[in-house]
Amino acid sequence: MEEKIWDIAIIGCGPAGLSAAINARIRNREILIFGSEVCSPPLQKAPKIINYPGFPSITGEDLRQRFLDHAATLGIEITRKKIDSIYSLGNEFGLMSKQEMFRAKSVIITTGIVHPVYLPGEREFLGKGVGYCATCDGPFFRGKDVAIIAYNAEAEADARYLAEICQRVYYLPHYQEIGNLGPGVEVVNDKPKQILGEATVQGIQLEKGSIPVDGVFIVGAEVPPERLVPGVELVDGHYKVNRDMQTNIPGLFAAGDCTGRPYQLAKAVGEGQVAGLAASKYVADTAKIKSFKL
Amino acid sequence: MVKYTVEVSEQTFNQEVLEQQQPVLVDFWAAWCGPCQMIAPVVEDLAEEYKDRVKVVKVNVDQNRQLAVQFGVMSIPTLVLFKNGQEVDRLVGFMGKEQLKEKINQHLV
Repeated sequence: MEEKIWDIAIIGCGPAGLSAAINARIRNREILIFGSEVCSPPLQKAPKIINYPGFPSITGEDLRQRFLDHAATLGIEITRKKIDSIYSLGNEFGLMSKQEMFRAKSVIITTGIVHPVYLPGEREFLGKGVGYCATCDGPFFRGKDVAIIAYNAEAEADARYLAEICQRVYYLPHYQEIGNLGPGVEVVNDKPKQILGEATVQGIQLEKGSIPVDGVFIVGAEVPPERLVPGVELVDGHYKVNRDMQTNIPGLFAAGDCTGRPYQLAKAVGEGQVAGLAASKYVADTAKIKSFKL
Repeated sequence: MVKYTVEVSEQTFNQEVLEQQQPVLVDFWAAWCGPCQMIAPVVEDLAEEYKDRVKVVKVNVDQNRQLAVQFGVMSIPTLVLFKNGQEVDRLVGFMGKEQLKEKINQHLV
C-alpha cells in the first residue's frame, strides 16, 4: 500500500477531469489523475467544436492538446493506472488498481459515459462463481475449470496465474492481437451469451456451444459506477450529485458526462471546476475538523 | 489498540459462531485480497460499535479452506450474518460502513 495520501484523486483525464485538476491545483492541492491512454477519445475525434466560447471552429484535437498543455504547465501528474474500485474508508478513500492501493482524502470521478454490459447470469452468480478479481478469488478454483472473458490484454496476466492453479483455463478474448498467455490456456474464439448454473456457476453458454466451468472471471470490461464505488447513489446510470457536484458519499465528487446530460464540453469543464473547488474546500474543512479534535 | 474482532478457525467455528445466542457476523478474508484489507478497519469499527449486540469474527480462508467450501464462499471479501446458527444474510464484495450497518440493522429488530 502506498503511504502517501493525496489531497485529491481524479479518475479520468477528459475535459471535466483536467478542469477539476487545474482548479484544485490552483488551490494548491496535491492531486493525482488516473487517466486513460488517450484523454477523452470523443474530444480527440471531434472534427470541429462550434460551441465552446472563445474558440470558434477549433478542432477537438487542438483543444484537447491545449487542455493537456495547460495541466502540464501546472505540474499536474497523470498516471495511466486503471482504478478498479474506490472505497470510502471514513476519513479517506482507498483506490485499488489491480493489487496496488492508493490513498486520497477526496476523489473526483470524471469517467465520461460508460456503457456497462452485463451478461445474463453475471449478477445472479456474482460471488457464486462469477468474479472480477482473479488474484482475489482464483484460489477458490484451485484444481477446477474456469473461463476468462477478456476485454483487453490486462486479462493475460490473470490467465497465466489461473493456469498455474486451475485444471483448465478457457480464454475468450474480446480484443485483437492476443499476447503471451503461457501454457495451459485454451483460447476459445466464440461469444459468451449467458452464464449458466443453479446454486453456483456450472458453465458458460456461447454462440456456438457451451463449456462446463466452475468459475467465470470477467476482466477488463468497462466498470459500471455501482461497482467502481460500492454504495454510491445513481440516477439513470449516472452519478447523483448536488450543486457542489458532491455524491451521497462525503468527499466523493463527480463531474462531466458521468453525471448526466447534456453531454457537452462546456458543461463538463464547468462541472469539473465546481468539483475541483468543492473538493479543495472539503479537504481544507476536514483538516480543520481533525486539528480541532487534536 | 483493543481488537473487537475474533479470529476463528475450523476447530472453533461451531462454538464461536453456530452455537452463539447473539447474531454473529463472519468476515471471510485472506491476506492476498486487497479489498479484504480495505474492509478490515470497517469491520473492526462495526465490531466495536455493535459489541453488545453482534459478535464479529474473522475467518482466514487460506488457513481454513474447509469453512470456505462448507459455506460456499467463492469470492472475498464475503460477510455472512448468522442468527441462531443459521445464515440470514450474505454480503459479497466491499461495502461502506453505512451500507453494512443498514444491512445488519435489518436483522436486529
